[in-house]
Amino acid sequence: MLRLVVGVLGLACLIAPAAVAQQQPDTVLLERGQRLYQENCALCHRDLGAGDPPTFPALRGSDQLRDPVRVVRTIRQGRDRMPPFPGLTAEELSALVNYVRNVWADGSSNVTTEEVAAVLGGLEETLPMGSVWDGVFTEAQANRGQAAYEGACGTCHGHRLNGAPDDPDMRSTPPLARARFLRVWQGRSLATLFEFTRATMPEDNPDSMTEQEYVDVIAYMLLLGGMPAGDAELQPDAQSLARVVIRAGR
Amino acid sequence: MTTKDDRPSKDPTPNKKALNRRDFVKTGVVAGLGSGVLLDSAEAQAQVPASGTQQTVWHYEADVVIAGGGCAGLTAAIRAVDLGASVLVVDQNFDLGGRMLHSAGRMSLGGGDPVQQRDMSGESDREGFVTVAPIEEPEELDDDVELLFTDLTDWSVVDPKGQAPYRYNERELARAWAENCPATRQFLIDNYVRFSRVAGTHGGGGLSRARLATCFLMLGDVTDIKAGTITAEDAGVADRERSSAFAPLRMNNASRSVGPNAVANGAALSRCLEFSAREKGVQFILHRRFDEIVREQPVAGRVLGIKAHYSPRQHPESGEVLQSLWQNGNIDERRDTVNIRARKAVILASGGHAGNPEVRSMFYPALREPAFPTSGRALLGSGGQDGSALIAGLRIGANLAGMQQNLSYFTTFHISTRLGTRDAYTGMMPGHPTFGFRGSAGFSVGSSGFEEFIAVNQVGKRFFNEVRLPARPGPSAYPGDRGAPGRGLDHTPLDWRNCRKEWVREMYNYDHGVHAALALNEGSEAPDYYSGPLWAVFDQDAVDRNGWELRYPYVSDNGYFFQADTIEDLAEQIYAGHEFQRVPLKYLADTVGTWNGYVESGADPEFEREMDAPMNRIATGPFYALSIMVIWHDSYGGLRVNGRQQVVDMQGQVIPGLYAGGEAVGGFNKHGLGKGHVHGYIAGTHAVEEPSL
Repeated sequence: MLRLVVGVLGLACLIAPAAVAQQQPDTVLLERGQRLYQENCALCHRDLGAGDPPTFPALRGSDQLRDPVRVVRTIRQGRDRMPPFPGLTAEELSALVNYVRNVWADGSSNVTTEEVAAVLGGLEETLPMGSVWDGVFTEAQANRGQAAYEGACGTCHGHRLNGAPDDPDMRSTPPLARARFLRVWQGRSLATLFEFTRATMPEDNPDSMTEQEYVDVIAYMLLLGGMPAGDAELQPDAQSLARVVIRAGR
Repeated sequence: MTTKDDRPSKDPTPNKKALNRRDFVKTGVVAGLGSGVLLDSAEAQAQVPASGTQQTVWHYEADVVIAGGGCAGLTAAIRAVDLGASVLVVDQNFDLGGRMLHSAGRMSLGGGDPVQQRDMSGESDREGFVTVAPIEEPEELDDDVELLFTDLTDWSVVDPKGQAPYRYNERELARAWAENCPATRQFLIDNYVRFSRVAGTHGGGGLSRARLATCFLMLGDVTDIKAGTITAEDAGVADRERSSAFAPLRMNNASRSVGPNAVANGAALSRCLEFSAREKGVQFILHRRFDEIVREQPVAGRVLGIKAHYSPRQHPESGEVLQSLWQNGNIDERRDTVNIRARKAVILASGGHAGNPEVRSMFYPALREPAFPTSGRALLGSGGQDGSALIAGLRIGANLAGMQQNLSYFTTFHISTRLGTRDAYTGMMPGHPTFGFRGSAGFSVGSSGFEEFIAVNQVGKRFFNEVRLPARPGPSAYPGDRGAPGRGLDHTPLDWRNCRKEWVREMYNYDHGVHAALALNEGSEAPDYYSGPLWAVFDQDAVDRNGWELRYPYVSDNGYFFQADTIEDLAEQIYAGHEFQRVPLKYLADTVGTWNGYVESGADPEFEREMDAPMNRIATGPFYALSIMVIWHDSYGGLRVNGRQQVVDMQGQVIPGLYAGGEAVGGFNKHGLGKGHVHGYIAGTHAVEEPSL
């Protein structure tokens, strides 16, 4: 909470000069935008929008933020390795788009919910959202995932997936199941997990597994986390993974 | 304080035969002694130089005598035998390999070494085991000695602890090391060691290029060093809760860096080198601690040999003397003390000083606390990492170097996330001869597990934010995003921006929890003011939340794990049952009550836990206490040597006939295997060039 308050104060300072001359953006909306940014975007684009190039592009000073329509479409549909965020409403999208454009672009963004809705209206219909508790993977897939996990992930993340390497020389790593994992990933989609993992793991050779292996490993993580298996496999496709949300419980 | 492993020998049958010369010769023949190793005692006395201050009776003799059969010692032994010398290795443990055997088998060399070149060309190894594509791009492997030397002396690199790993290195030592890396990699390959693809680097290996390859074997129907195969049982992968005598630590899946069915760790390095050494005729006396260096004059003249005493490692329950995995080349020698003459040179490769609390106090007095043993205690016994080379070297006038470098390496000591065992560093499970020295394997909760309990000191008071207690700052490593600006090839050696304060502020990541753990508390008493043991205290809810398996072999009734229905009873059990708990935990019940109040109010005014993680009440019995250990990986600082690994005295003069390598030497902040093997290679090379006595 403390961090959020500081962030909002900092934001007020940042936008003040532009806001005097321009139409005053709704500060409540901006605060909401910042919260949405933290929840959805900061994982890769980082707190200050600096990203981690070349893996994660910077937003600060990015030309890509100039066109608000492009920003809306990118968030909603994904672009290149950025996953789509189909769960955001038009109102949330407008808050988010105004936030990133005000802070890191020209400081004068005031896209309305109606304008966002108009953009979304031109896009294809989104399918209903589900969660990891809906039986989104199969046991056979999770078993394949275990084999891939042991070769690529287990040395660092440990056989219990609790981030405790079996080799005592190695530092702990983030857990991949249970409470701590859920605290970090709660509310994010499997598409975000899929693309983040591909972009960053294995640490010594990111993106070196096949897309199928990455999604199989996610199936294994879900199984170890207590989520139920189902009849259909998780597909290595960001559009469908984006509709599966990670939740701590049903 | 005496621990089980420190007890005097219980062996009721000292070898009387060893006192009889004729029988002794027979014993030697049975043990397969090569000519020139066993020495007739009358002949030996005749060879004592006239300048010697006392008559030394020599019991054995070899061209090169090596104290310690770990990474530096075994490499030096093979190198010296290859160059025509007779070699005798003395080791205090029951088996060879030292901590190399227990390591991950990760070795950063470089300088354009043969594995870097192999991966640059995209080729496989000569046996065709490596079937995955190179992990690093050719430009990341394009290395040479100059670049490696620059890296090893790069003053500008600062790690996330604000320490500079390279700037205090002895330049001559670093130069010699860099020059010998390519030859050492080839030497290891020529002695049955197989290397994976190169991936990054680690532990003081420099930030400019990828230099780390891991030692592996292939799973197969038989364990056959020449063929490069190992059974699943020997590799420890058949059963997660069972270790083999071959590999104390379960071997890692190396399918990503080698190919399917490859397993990797230090056993794939140590056993291969040991096999080669025994095959080439190196001889070994095990169970024998090296005590003294014999020099012509107390602090002058040439080194003549060493003294070593019988110190058998016995099974903690049966009392049986433990046996090495392989026997060929072993000399069964049980006399209390033997003197071993070195015709050419003595090489000290007996490890560091992390297991000797008195020596540790040289760089950090609070580390005198004996509750926290060295990283290899159960595997190596109390004679491992005991500072023997440093102590013996000081007695004959040797200088020391780099003692402060213990404080400038990120893994030197930290809080282990493996709880419930004194031996929180090693990984032996039942099945390995030394599991009995641990009694429990410990339960590794990871850093995230520290959110689930409160950590208390010996009087039962909290002392730090538990969530941050196990945090380790991480190394400077290649790719350079963990402590250096940019990534990989973006690192510019010797650039002042690498250590400008803005960058240090950005990447600094150290909470100093381990120092709070070692701090004075109400139970610290003069004259040592020991900080005492540390305890993780939690309740049944925490066990249920996390699915923790609090059962054998992870925990046992060995004084490092307690369970009780009330907190008061828990405190009493710890005081009664733990060997280093010197005072009652008189505040424990109050501490738990206070903590539960913090949980209710959602704020921990002492350590601000609410900022880092959810807080949970400790209220549902039974209640548990698991030991938390401060562990050491390796020590930095030791004997001063020159670029030929010759030990140097306080006047800057070489001590004739004395070499040292690995953790026994100081002045070179390089982690583990990479340091030890190259030192051994250099020492073995030059020891053989010494004139024969």
